[in-house]
Amino acid sequence: MSLLELKGVKKIYQQGKIEVPALRGVDLIVEQGEFSTIFGPSGSGETTLLNMIGCLDTPTEGEIRLNGNKVSDLSRKALAMTRRFNIGFVFQSYNLIPVLTAYENVEFAIRLIDHTSELKIKERVLQILEEVGLKGLENRRPNELSGGESQRVAIARALVKEPKLVLADEPTANLDSKNATDVVKIMVKMNKELGTTFIFSTHDPMVMEYAHRYINLKDGMISADERRG
Amino acid sequence: MFSFKLGLKNLTRQKRRNVITIMVIAFAFFGYLFMDSVMGGMEEMSFSNIKNYDTGNIQVAYPEYWEDREKLPLENLIYLNQDIVDSIKNMDGILGVSPELRFKANLNNGIDETVVLGLGISPEQYNEVFATQNYIIEGSMFSPGESKAVIGVKLAELMDLKINDYITLLVRTKEDTFNTIDVEITGLLNTPNPMINNGVVFVPLDIAQQALNVDNGFSLLALKTASGDEDKIGKVLMDSFKDKDLELQAYSWRESAESIIALSTAKKGGIGTILSVVLLIGMIGIINNVILSALERTGEIGMMKALGMREWEIVFVFMVEATGIGILGGLAGCLIGFAGVGLMAKYGFGFNVMGIDISEYGIPILDKIYGTWNYPAFSFLFILSVTVALLSSIVPAYWAAHKDPVKAIYHR
Repeated sequence: MSLLELKGVKKIYQQGKIEVPALRGVDLIVEQGEFSTIFGPSGSGETTLLNMIGCLDTPTEGEIRLNGNKVSDLSRKALAMTRRFNIGFVFQSYNLIPVLTAYENVEFAIRLIDHTSELKIKERVLQILEEVGLKGLENRRPNELSGGESQRVAIARALVKEPKLVLADEPTANLDSKNATDVVKIMVKMNKELGTTFIFSTHDPMVMEYAHRYINLKDGMISADERRG
Repeated sequence: MFSFKLGLKNLTRQKRRNVITIMVIAFAFFGYLFMDSVMGGMEEMSFSNIKNYDTGNIQVAYPEYWEDREKLPLENLIYLNQDIVDSIKNMDGILGVSPELRFKANLNNGIDETVVLGLGISPEQYNEVFATQNYIIEGSMFSPGESKAVIGVKLAELMDLKINDYITLLVRTKEDTFNTIDVEITGLLNTPNPMINNGVVFVPLDIAQQALNVDNGFSLLALKTASGDEDKIGKVLMDSFKDKDLELQAYSWRESAESIIALSTAKKGGIGTILSVVLLIGMIGIINNVILSALERTGEIGMMKALGMREWEIVFVFMVEATGIGILGGLAGCLIGFAGVGLMAKYGFGFNVMGIDISEYGIPILDKIYGTWNYPAFSFLFILSVTVALLSSIVPAYWAAHKDPVKAIYHR
């Protein structure tokens, strides 16, 4: 059974009386443990596709299955629960909560799903922060962290609950090349060590090089789907 | 619970706005508590002035007289032998009994004339019921049988009178013929009850009875009791009158103070209006705060939704924050209110400083008004502030939490 399966997924946005198609029928299968990138010119529908896969939005037409379960026609509440337990997100602008420390930002995600002992949660959060290279920075607030460090917190937040799938929408777009490389390397490392499936969108050729699979979107359709290594 | 912790931590964001909202709520609460205290003090002093200088705690009269009492009739007067008066005086809980003969009179100083309320009293008995004699600021009280009078300073000023001046009271007798009472002013009063100071002339009861040709009749008996015992003692008195086949009735001071009580009721309405305004201010503050916070944190809300938080969980975060503001605003309001009411209760406030004579508005208070402590108002207001904050945050918080996750995440 594939982790993710999309069949004829279409998304049409209504702008007044005009219908704007963002996805024109996407078929895609993603297996557990893949490290894939979705790329294409601006406006080709990568973000829309990620939103569909991430259960943040529902398709106008077509079917999406996650772990074999159809998620394309779930209620808002059921979609929220699917995101909570199965999907991690990394955003371009980090979206960390400024009043929480790095530790608390990560803790926040795991608290939503894990109600085990304080000690276990603490161990898990410190472990993931160490893995993303933030040991010693746990008590810093986002305004005390660099862009690269903030994005690492966001990655730790996405990974702490050990989701099957992590979606990253241009995770390195706000970072310089060194930080961008570091962040992608962390994602590669987590993919290898935890077997977490990563799908990320990017325009950065340097970042793309790390991917195992390239999904090229053009005008809302997959124009190329290649694997490497 | 992490959402609770996050809600509390969010209180530290936008400090200036939160502090302003808290202060607005606090000052609105202070305004309410202060007004409530002033109004309470005004009511308490009004009632006290009525009881201590005008009506006593209970008045005993015939129902026919009572109905017409505003007209000061000389009909339906009480004619009792001293034994009955003494038996009333000896009843449990009664601290003093004073017969009063109330009559209409025109005071003439030889040049001008003004309408006054004549009050025939027996000084010794009157002293047992009323505190009026403590406020003689010049001269002294008369003795029975003396052709002397005591008047208020305001009336003296109005009629240009002083101690030892002679005045003439033009009265109508029981038979509706004219008569006069010529008396020398022996004392000037300045009581806390402006009604007494402005328009009452005290004369010895026997002098008044003689002039009005009512034998030993009097209008009513004013009784002093322990405060709060009026109803209980009134009932005992009524039973006693029934046993003696007397048709007399006992009336609580409240029945003589209907207009003041009406003012007091209006005050409660006024306080209710103030409370509504206070709540409205609190609600607007909280709603404004939640909406602005939601707008500023749209991206964050999107992230929360991406993490899988359900709408009510996001609502809860905002509600904790709003309730925190309500609690802080309520506490600050209670603290400032405590200080304000404390100052008001200790030092009072004289409307005359502002050139206002509140007695002109029918409130029988001359001096300063002292605030009263209404402790339940503090706890009531605090609980209300928390409840209002909690409730008024629900709709805007739900509005925030209901945002489309995609639009929220990519909001700029």
